[in-house]
Amino acid sequence: MAGTLSAGDGRRAARLLAPAYLWLTLAVFLPLSAMLFFSFLTAAPFGDKPVEATLSNYRAFFETSTYALLLWKSIKLGLWVTGACILIGYPCALVLAKQIRGRAREALFLLVILPFWSNSLVRIFSWAIVLRGNGVLDRALDAVWPGDVRLALMFTPAAVVIGLVHSYLPYVILTSYLALQAIDDDIVEAARSLGARRLTILWRLVLPLSLPGLLAGAVLVFVPVVGSFMEPRILGGRFGTYYGTVIEDQFVAVFNWPLGAALSFILLAVVLLILGVSSPVLRRGMQ
Amino acid sequence: MAEVSVRGVTKRFGEMTALDDVSLDFVNGGFFALLGPSGSGKTTLLRVIAGFLFPDAGEVRIAGQPVERVPVEKREIGMMFQSYALFPNLSVAENVGFGLRTRKVPRAEERRRVGEALELVQLEGLGERKPKALSGGQRQRVALARAIVTNPKVLLLDEPLSALDKSLRVDMQIELKRIQREVGITTIFVTHDQEEALTLADRIGILREGRLVQAGPPREVYNAPVDAFTARFLGEANILPDILPEGARVALPSGMRAAAVRPEALRLTAEQPEDTDNILPGRLVQRVFAGSMATCVVDVAGVTWKVIDRDRDLPQLSDDAAVWLSWDTADTLPIAPG
Amino acid sequence: MNALRIAGLIWLGLVLVFLYAPILVMAAMSFNASPFYQLPFDFSTRWYEDLASNTAIRTAATRSVLIALAVTVIATALGTSAALALFRYDFPGKRILQVLLFPPIAIPWLITGTAMLIFFFAIGVGRGTPAVLIGHVALALPYVIVVVNARLVSFDRTLEEAARALGANPWTVTRRVTLPWIAPGVVAGALFAFAVSFDQFVVSYFLAKPGDSTLPVLIYTSIRKGFTPEINAVSTLIIVGSMALMLVVARFFSFGGHR
Repeated sequence: MAGTLSAGDGRRAARLLAPAYLWLTLAVFLPLSAMLFFSFLTAAPFGDKPVEATLSNYRAFFETSTYALLLWKSIKLGLWVTGACILIGYPCALVLAKQIRGRAREALFLLVILPFWSNSLVRIFSWAIVLRGNGVLDRALDAVWPGDVRLALMFTPAAVVIGLVHSYLPYVILTSYLALQAIDDDIVEAARSLGARRLTILWRLVLPLSLPGLLAGAVLVFVPVVGSFMEPRILGGRFGTYYGTVIEDQFVAVFNWPLGAALSFILLAVVLLILGVSSPVLRRGMQ
Repeated sequence: MAEVSVRGVTKRFGEMTALDDVSLDFVNGGFFALLGPSGSGKTTLLRVIAGFLFPDAGEVRIAGQPVERVPVEKREIGMMFQSYALFPNLSVAENVGFGLRTRKVPRAEERRRVGEALELVQLEGLGERKPKALSGGQRQRVALARAIVTNPKVLLLDEPLSALDKSLRVDMQIELKRIQREVGITTIFVTHDQEEALTLADRIGILREGRLVQAGPPREVYNAPVDAFTARFLGEANILPDILPEGARVALPSGMRAAAVRPEALRLTAEQPEDTDNILPGRLVQRVFAGSMATCVVDVAGVTWKVIDRDRDLPQLSDDAAVWLSWDTADTLPIAPG
Repeated sequence: MNALRIAGLIWLGLVLVFLYAPILVMAAMSFNASPFYQLPFDFSTRWYEDLASNTAIRTAATRSVLIALAVTVIATALGTSAALALFRYDFPGKRILQVLLFPPIAIPWLITGTAMLIFFFAIGVGRGTPAVLIGHVALALPYVIVVVNARLVSFDRTLEEAARALGANPWTVTRRVTLPWIAPGVVAGALFAFAVSFDQFVVSYFLAKPGDSTLPVLIYTSIRKGFTPEINAVSTLIIVGSMALMLVVARFFSFGGHR
């Protein structure tokens, strides 16, 4: 019955689908189109100023290196955080999926992804309490290793990375875990029966077979991190200027909406590029 | 000369004793079937021999070397899994060559041996395919080629044919037997299908609740089961009741206390047979027609007996008719009581 | 047990410490009398008492809960019916509709939020609670559809066909056969919708009117002004609440933990 519907079914399908998709159109797709339109205007069309079409907002990005450098800084931040999430999260998922069994696994898995569902702003705030000068971490370190050891992590790029890794680590663990769990234990046993050592099994079988899951997790981390602004604001202090914070400023402080729209759109283009490049691998992993 | 030898092996999982003091020898070049119902410990025994499990007590030797603490990857065994466990990300040739690669065999030799192995299982020219692009029977052959290409000392098969449908399974049984003969490798395989075990193996071992009940050549085990369980498990068996019904005449060989009779050894007649040592009166419950053969279900003093014979050799009787069962004393199978 | 396995368990343990330590520190500090998180620890419930009398936080919290409840109702109803249609009918363009669910999830909220701000201003909705509500529903919808659909995948289509063969009209089929089956998925979807809205900061931040904000926005502006222990206390409450909520979701919707 693919592709064919009776008239009655067609009406029913439309009635069921229309509310959700009209809502999405109104609240997501039209706004994105409006933003594209806005990014070509000289000013927001709400005031008295005359409004003209212009490319100057995009020119601002390409003529001065400021924005491009900030975007690069944000992309670097994304790479750092994604890399750290993979290095920390993948082994963790491996232990969960292939080493722990039964109820303990279910409980530990839930424990790992639970923070992921709690408010990320609050979790970033909790790091501010831990990392602040003379805060808990400094005290704890002092107790273990007395002397004048100061980490002074608060308001550094390292603090931003730590906070973001904390926010997004469960994504990588979740997607890697699901991919790893789908690998049949027989495959590992077969490889062992053929004389393969654990490292060989990991490198030639487990890693390639779970790569789509790992990559999905990496994309899910990288994309929002490049657009992050709240985390750098709270944890980064005067190092906390990133591409996301500049966009935020255009909308809540400087009120240069057209420039903000253009910068947002450039970010969107980068995001779509990344999603597009990774989608063949991701789709292969879905099958 | 035993290639694989198991001595007093015991394996427990918590409270459950999966293997209880099992001793068995597997002769060089032999084809050995481990048979038993689910939970009998047959798969556990195979995994102990493979090295996936270490026994709690006892000794396992492969080619004379004690290996009970050697992990699977160092045992030089070949194993075939019920699910085949082909590596989905690798091609057929890479799958077959996997064990050679881990043994650091030079690439040229790897190519040659992979080619030979694929030829042996009649899959020449499919080396570049991915496992996903193969049929069930072809995957099976790849799994077999992968397991034997490294020239292991022993080939272990875990229910190797159970995932195939019936007609393909019979083809593969013949094929498996041919390849095993050709390679001459000591083979141990686990199955719950008694017919498969009787067809393929030159020795079988029957396990029940973690204990080895009986081992020997298939014909011997079939014709001389040690107890009622084995008699029933290997084909059907009618167990002689302790108290015989009125009119019965049974000549038990001297010293035999319990006995069974195979359904195909029984004769069914309407009149009381004269010149036979063993007769039992009964009532015909049902006659089941199955092509050339037929099965008659007979009630003997409340116990159900089965008679299998050629359909045309059975008398035409209505259900509920009084009948007589008779057999030759030579067909009486001695079994351990209980 | 070999060294590698032990190392694996230690690694997992360290990750759990990393994930939970800051949250526990924050919770502990909310019971510390010092307003500047000074040690030694001096147990006090004064910040929770202050919280009870802090009207700004209380109104923001009430607004957040009300918005989240409204979002839950709307997104669950709309999302469930869309999931049903996508499952039940086959029509040209269905793939496109399914793909269209991903932008709201995949595009960074910074972009979606600022785009909504621009558009809502352009059409006269402006900033404020209605704008926040519209935005949250749009963000929650794809989650509801995906979660309900995950449950529908295990639904035996022939049950619907059998009911129709017995003369039930489509609405009766839905009410008596389909909905009872997908109920756990719908409940899980509803809880997701609530969580997405209640925890939502970025989109609310751009759409809420200053002085008329949701709880996360209020927390953000307070943090940026400086440390306030009441925020610490309310944050602790939020995190305990949302984790409890997700434990409930996990009961309805187990994430491949079996086997």
